[in-house]
Amino acid sequence: MQSEVNGIFVAAHELKAPLSLMRQLALSLDPNNPTEIKEYQAKMVTVSERALRQVSDLTKIARLEDGLFAMEPVAVRGVCDEVTSELKYLFRSNKKQLRVKYSNHQKLVIANRDLLHSVVYNFCVNAIKYSDSSTTSALTVSDHQNGDASSVRILVRDFGPALPKDIYYKLVHNQLEAPTGISFRPDSSGLGLYIATKFSRFMHANVGAIRHRDGTSFYVELPVSNQGTLFA
Amino acid sequence: MSRKPPLVFIIDDDEMFADCLVAAIKKGNKSAKVQTFKNAIDAMNSLSDPLPDLIFLDILLPGPDGFTFLNEITSYTDTAKIPIILVTSLELPEADLSIYGIQGILNKESMKPSEVTEYVKRYTN
Repeated sequence: MQSEVNGIFVAAHELKAPLSLMRQLALSLDPNNPTEIKEYQAKMVTVSERALRQVSDLTKIARLEDGLFAMEPVAVRGVCDEVTSELKYLFRSNKKQLRVKYSNHQKLVIANRDLLHSVVYNFCVNAIKYSDSSTTSALTVSDHQNGDASSVRILVRDFGPALPKDIYYKLVHNQLEAPTGISFRPDSSGLGLYIATKFSRFMHANVGAIRHRDGTSFYVELPVSNQGTLFA
Repeated sequence: MSRKPPLVFIIDDDEMFADCLVAAIKKGNKSAKVQTFKNAIDAMNSLSDPLPDLIFLDILLPGPDGFTFLNEITSYTDTAKIPIILVTSLELPEADLSIYGIQGILNKESMKPSEVTEYVKRYTN
């Protein structure tokens, strides 16, 4: 019950930021300045879309057990292209940059397209929040081999404050059972990471992080779908 | 002799929110020079001559938080006099923060741009 209450508190806190910003943008609008109206309108759309996605992700978490999210072969690059194109404006308006590098030969993974989209989206939004303006975050997709198991790794590297050690150990030991409280990283409840972890686990994917002295890399490793070989 | 334009600091890691504050500050004083910082360390490093006339400070920041900044700024006699307005979504009791010389608290959820403008008029004109 306590963790449920904490979860609601954290989700509410996380949604307060975009709503407060929307309100402030609306109040700041000068009706006599058409250029400003256009600029503020674009900002409001971006901020509201981000909040809507968060609400939508929370709804999905509540319904994960309902069997609504079928696993299927998914083209990784397609999902990453969708996310980066969706976030192009958000990166630009925050004066941040993202470099995308595909070096994977395996094209299909076993995943749910919607959930994978959310995982990559949350990693990228995290990079927007925590990277310094002068740095360029990176989204890298590469092949991985662990014994007989082949997987594709999607990794997002940011350059900002390093992930706190306690959260890092919780993540790598699969103990991230709830959002981590507002002191985790500033202006964040860790909700995005919690959502990404929850969705990754549902897809039987391996989720993790690499601590760097000048930032953090978050990654998800998804099993390769052999269905692609049927077309070969 | 012309008077130097007033200097206002904004310390907030939410760039879009900081942009809203800049617009409101400019409405309060067109000649004000506004400097925006995303973290407390950069702001602390910039606390040299000329000192800001007014600071708008968020609490949840990357690295050292707003309270660390307040502790630092109040430990020097020259910077301790700078009026500070907290702009935060945390619910903070104003009375408990009086030791930091806080001149006002604006709640991000309920504040109006005109309140920012008022503070700028009060402390920079």
